[in-house]
Amino acid sequence: MEYFLEFKGIRKSFPGVQALRDISFRAEGGRVLALLGENGAGKSTLLKILAGDLSADEGEVVLGGAPLSFSSPYDAIKAGVSVIYQERQLIPAMSVMENIFAGALPRNSFGFIDKPRLKKDTQAIIEKFGLPIDPAAPAGRLSVAYQQMVEIMKAYRRGSSVIAFDEPTASLAEAEISILFKLIAELKREGKIVVYVSHRLAEIFQITDDIVVFKDGALVKTFVTDETSEPELIRAMIGRDIGDTYANLSRNTEYGETLLEVRNLVAKQVKNVSFSLRKGEIIGFAGLVGAGRTEVVRALFGADPMISGEILLEGKRVEFKSPAEAITAGLALCPEDRKEQGLVLYHSIRDNVSIPVLSKIRRFFFLDRKAESALAGGIVDKYSIKTPGIDKIVVELSGGNQQKVILGRWTSDQMTTKILILDEPTKGIDVGTKAEVYQMMCDLAKQGFGVIFISSELPEVIGVSDTIYVMRGGRVTGCVHRGDATEESILSLAMSDTVKTERGDAK
Amino acid sequence: MFIKKLLRSSNAALLFITIAVTLLFYIFNNNYLNFDNVRNILNSMSFVGVLSVGMTLLLIGGEVDLAAGAEACFSGVVVALLINAGVPWGLAFFLTVLFGALCGLINAFFINKLGFMSFIATLGMMSVYQGLVTVITQSKNIQIPEQGFWVIGSISLWNVVPLAFIIMLVLMIAYSVVLSNTNFGRSVYMCGGNRHAARLCGINPKKISTILYVNNGVLAAIAGVVLTSRMHTASPAAGSSGAIDAITAAVLGGVSFLGGAGGMSGCFIGILLLNVFNAGLTAVGFPSYWQIVARGGLLVLALCLDFIGARSRRLALERE
Repeated sequence: MEYFLEFKGIRKSFPGVQALRDISFRAEGGRVLALLGENGAGKSTLLKILAGDLSADEGEVVLGGAPLSFSSPYDAIKAGVSVIYQERQLIPAMSVMENIFAGALPRNSFGFIDKPRLKKDTQAIIEKFGLPIDPAAPAGRLSVAYQQMVEIMKAYRRGSSVIAFDEPTASLAEAEISILFKLIAELKREGKIVVYVSHRLAEIFQITDDIVVFKDGALVKTFVTDETSEPELIRAMIGRDIGDTYANLSRNTEYGETLLEVRNLVAKQVKNVSFSLRKGEIIGFAGLVGAGRTEVVRALFGADPMISGEILLEGKRVEFKSPAEAITAGLALCPEDRKEQGLVLYHSIRDNVSIPVLSKIRRFFFLDRKAESALAGGIVDKYSIKTPGIDKIVVELSGGNQQKVILGRWTSDQMTTKILILDEPTKGIDVGTKAEVYQMMCDLAKQGFGVIFISSELPEVIGVSDTIYVMRGGRVTGCVHRGDATEESILSLAMSDTVKTERGDAK
Repeated sequence: MFIKKLLRSSNAALLFITIAVTLLFYIFNNNYLNFDNVRNILNSMSFVGVLSVGMTLLLIGGEVDLAAGAEACFSGVVVALLINAGVPWGLAFFLTVLFGALCGLINAFFINKLGFMSFIATLGMMSVYQGLVTVITQSKNIQIPEQGFWVIGSISLWNVVPLAFIIMLVLMIAYSVVLSNTNFGRSVYMCGGNRHAARLCGINPKKISTILYVNNGVLAAIAGVVLTSRMHTASPAAGSSGAIDAITAAVLGGVSFLGGAGGMSGCFIGILLLNVFNAGLTAVGFPSYWQIVARGGLLVLALCLDFIGARSRRLALERE
């Protein structure tokens, strides 16, 4: 094939992170190329560069021999590149035909929209792909799958020569996936360049021709799909040097009685999840983004409604209708997104740490500012937070120090926290501070806290947790002890399509 | 940028601007600072001032009540009807305050139970109240012959400082203490600053919001009663721009439209500046219809400064 898309020496860095290092590969027309890698391996960043959302620091993207230079997504579309994201980008109230022809609606001689032609042209495209879609139906009324089909037809109508998919099957049912694959096959037959990002290995073997594996922002290896195997791909994705960070942790070895038992928890995106947590234990939740881990802890914490299931706290049945109730009972959540959900950014350390204990630090009707200062000062000392004082606005602190403010908030003397839930606590934190956070978690376990640790980074979940629960598609697909866990075994539980039955009560 | 910093940096700077504006108008018209005019300024300030107390709390908590002026006007009509029906004025005042609380509760119901945007819910209620007032009064003023009631609006200290102004001042001081020295006040800041984080820390944002709307309804009722007492009349047109003026004053005083920031002292200076400006325009003979344009311009300016400030903070965050 003479028609191809080539990445040449692409580099991209964000403050503190090298997101892409010297990426070079080529995608041929008429073939489907898979981008494969763990979370944070660099696939999305590359896709964003291709879509014109980000620009590379170095290197160039070449399409059909000519280098592309985009300063906006609009440029990318004009150059013939369409990226189909997980979030639909249709206008729900507009009809299918208006969506497909958005930006290029046919006009009649009066300058108005030529509706008959619009309908006819749309019908032609729909028939080409053999789909049962009414051109006049509002796009928002279609099922998620058909909305995606409309997006693909939109890309096709634009005459895009490159069509990239970002985890297209994440929200589709089996039957819908087969329709999608038919469409992709049709695009392939027309000689389009198809780039396909997915975590599902089975799919990758089903529809792709080439596979590029990423790890930590670097390209590991390129495979021809027919000549490789599932274990080989998984080996290529992992194998990072874990180093001594985890070996040097001073861990807790004495577990107390069972603190928390969750049985058959069902909530939005959570299907029948059970686990238990002892005093002094760190349990990890591993899995890919969207596996339902955050949803489990949010439902447990009363932040989202629980549909069914049982929660036993120290043997007593409880149900939390709001975070306030969970906090009173001794739970604490350090949410995934520190800035959006964890902190009140433009307020001081003092204001941020006292929120859950406002009703305790008062004198008659008034806030006891002295007690509040003592509380905040104590936390700053205990966690050695780098700040000139307790009245510093938290937005001006580094990521690691912000995380310490949140940890301090929940572990102060004023609180009666027994269970700490940490959702991606090391996200956006530099390597040195990460090790500090791991040791902090171990120290908290030694003090008798039960710790629930969610992370998308395999080495840290395996290295820090005592017991690891692996989730996929809202279910727990496995429960492994640290001693028995390898990146390989966890990753295959997190990705593989065959749901392994729970290995009994591993404890 | 310079003006933005000046306005943002401290209330002192804003106070300085207020004094400068006052002196400027005084130079143009020497009668501007005589006893009668000062009393007038203080009097008209007190109506919007009381409204802005409730509005400041709402804005800090990330909410807004566009119906505040209409609630005040409706309350004025209610108190007039009650007194004219023979209810002792003290009791009528009390019942009207309850009525105001009910108005706030209705807003809170739409916003916290049904999940409407505060903007839309209160905009709708504003129309409903204005319409009801027109229906009830047949668009005519309601005179109140009961002279006892006139007292609230007519007494003044040393013939310069009206009781209405003192009521406003007392409320501002009381709420300033509530905001900075109580758990509730802190919770309001936290909800306005980051609703999600506040909720995950055990604050109930819906409860806080409901209290704020009820509180705002009560304050609007007080404002309406005081105004009615001063006029001896409930007018269906009174206070129509109340909500806008209260928002203007609060935002001028550094209360963020985006929630979580600002305070009562800023609000006080905002009110002062707004009224000195309005009265000054009259004093120098600025055409009254144009004054409406000028006031609107002031609100837009204040909002611009607020949003520019918020954007530069956000950009600073992204650069990080």
